[in-house]
Amino acid sequence: MNAKFLGYILWFFPLCLSMVACKDDKYTVPQPKNELGNDCIKRTLGPNVAGLKIEFAYAMALPATKGKLVSAQVEASIQGDAATYLENKSYYTNGSGEDVGIPIGDPSVNEGAVTKVTFTKDTNAVTLRYYYVIPPAAKGKEVKFTFSAKSSNGETVSYAMGPYTISNMDMVLDLPVKNADACYISIADMAVYNETDAAKNAAKIDLVYLYRSISGISFNHALVSPAADTTYLPGVVLPTGVNRDTKIRKTWNLRDQHLARLQYGIYIDDVDFQQLDMKGSPDYAINLKSEAGAWVETADGKYRAYIYMNKVDDGKKSATISMKRYTLK
Amino acid sequence: MKRYSTMLLLLLITAFGWMGCKKEDIPIDEDGLLITTRAECYVSNFELLGSDFQTVRTKNAVIDTVACTVNVTVFFGTDLKNLFPQFTLVTDAKLDPKITGFTDFSDLANPRTYTVISGNRQVRKTYKVIVTVQPR
Repeated sequence: MNAKFLGYILWFFPLCLSMVACKDDKYTVPQPKNELGNDCIKRTLGPNVAGLKIEFAYAMALPATKGKLVSAQVEASIQGDAATYLENKSYYTNGSGEDVGIPIGDPSVNEGAVTKVTFTKDTNAVTLRYYYVIPPAAKGKEVKFTFSAKSSNGETVSYAMGPYTISNMDMVLDLPVKNADACYISIADMAVYNETDAAKNAAKIDLVYLYRSISGISFNHALVSPAADTTYLPGVVLPTGVNRDTKIRKTWNLRDQHLARLQYGIYIDDVDFQQLDMKGSPDYAINLKSEAGAWVETADGKYRAYIYMNKVDDGKKSATISMKRYTLK
Repeated sequence: MKRYSTMLLLLLITAFGWMGCKKEDIPIDEDGLLITTRAECYVSNFELLGSDFQTVRTKNAVIDTVACTVNVTVFFGTDLKNLFPQFTLVTDAKLDPKITGFTDFSDLANPRTYTVISGNRQVRKTYKVIVTVQPR
């Protein structure tokens, strides 16, 4: 008798399990609120570097029977750069895939940390883009944003975004370097000097750019520390006092989105510089190709940097470089 | 009859459970790798990568399985202190010491040695990696 019951249970149990497994969750269509509502998303990715923009899309709407939108504003916890603005256009995509802007109000006005758009058209629903240009003063700090909208019936809504950490990195794009001309690179100044200027800033010169086409070996485009073995500085006469020993390590396939502006979604962030171990690295990097890069640590240990080769030109013996720099001390 | 079939079913489930948990007596070494019957012991291919994980060889490495040497010529200007060696070994063999990251090959007078251990863990052959820098 017991074995018989056990047998039934044994079959009944998997049956129950399979029924549970197939059960659908109930879903109900959310009911829209009959009032002024808003929503916001952050559109930019990657670290927030001073000088770059953080982009948001702020959507607001209310039922036509309730009134219309009067104004929209954003308050940043740290005042943005003067170029910060809130779009006064609502965009739609036309049949050709182009975004067409329809003005809904006057261009935005910055009053301290507040950026405001006052609506001049009858608008019930709109999405406005907000571009916060990160000021140098925000480096290493956190910034928060409060988006808010006001309607003609007196209603107000707001949406908080953040906090977002602003990177400690500095960035410079598209510095042209040329063999035997503008070839002295200063990490401290994030600049490239010619021989005359290099002599004036001798203590700040960290690397020398050179191009050599030597038969039998692949030298080509190189970034060499002034104190490196002269084998790696063939025919180079350094200005007086240019003698720093910078550590440099070649990399490949590290096309930072900010520096390269290509399709690769790779970003170098503060943490990469913090964790970088340059012990035992050489003081030269030769045969650098287009889209290659190099990690750098200055002789005084004050800066770490990543130099990206945007473009190299064998014929003109020149290159275009971009740089991200992190201050350690 | 029904009683018997239920009991048989239970017995079958128990047997399966017991079989599922049973550990096979397979010989494994200290690294948890399978010890097989293969006695072959050699390096079949060798690669050397730079700090940018690109090859630094000017041509294919010359592997002498009798003299147990790997001769590799690297580009002028290669950073010999940060090289990543990659060995391809015969089936089931393993390498000692293990490659765990960048290795210093800068002492050209004293080439680095790596021991290949056969699949049956009975044969050991020590290979010398001789690095030569491309002359200017």
